[in-house]
Amino acid sequence: MTNSRPLNIPVILGTTRKGRMSAHAARFMAQRIQQRANVMTELIDITEVPMPVDDAGDGIKDPAFAEKMTMADALVIVTPEYNHSFPGLLKHVLDSCLKEYIHKAAGIVGVSAGPFGGVRAIQDFLPVIRELGLVNIFWDVNFGNVASVFDESGKLLDQAFIKRADKFLDELIWMAKTLRYGRDNITLDS
Amino acid sequence: MAKSKMICWKCGNEMNHHADKLIYPSEGREAANFDASLGGLVEETHGCPGCGAVASRIAA
Repeated sequence: MTNSRPLNIPVILGTTRKGRMSAHAARFMAQRIQQRANVMTELIDITEVPMPVDDAGDGIKDPAFAEKMTMADALVIVTPEYNHSFPGLLKHVLDSCLKEYIHKAAGIVGVSAGPFGGVRAIQDFLPVIRELGLVNIFWDVNFGNVASVFDESGKLLDQAFIKRADKFLDELIWMAKTLRYGRDNITLDS
Repeated sequence: MAKSKMICWKCGNEMNHHADKLIYPSEGREAANFDASLGGLVEETHGCPGCGAVASRIAA
């Protein structure tokens, strides 16, 4: 069976810090997704996901966030690099779901003030993505020296990122379609 | 042995069992289905071809 419902690819803004430049990157990625036919998106800001810190995992699952993950076909996760890794609060939010992610595509967007564009955060993230049941693509987008990529209002200053983001999305959409077909049609039951 | 199909809680369609995930019980809450040969519990994941909803259950 194939179905025609639009692909759903939300963008997760994975930091809660004040003055976060990752917000510009997340909005830019959502805008690029909006250019695609038959693909819907929304920006999910983890600041707006209620997450107690006196428990973890399923025990603090937010129904609204879980529903968004249920209906997603793929995720774009925008993460800054803090002390050579991704934010703990991003993992705290992601860890609240599991079945909602399984056999869905993920692409990671790294952001850093320095030149490396979050590559260490992304490398740290890969085993987490795998254990959550997500399938990571081999394209990343790396916003290094982010203060020179966006101005303070979020306007893109370096047009090269349009092509980089679009190549990333080409691969992510292919993987999302493929995995949706598998989820819908290929069974473990004989 | 054939397993019963899950029915989508959103739209009523028959769901597809597409994944088995090994999970680790915490605080012994789900120890009844602990599979010693795998070292954990198997959680089946089912997807709805109609609406995209997701459901899971612990394998017996």
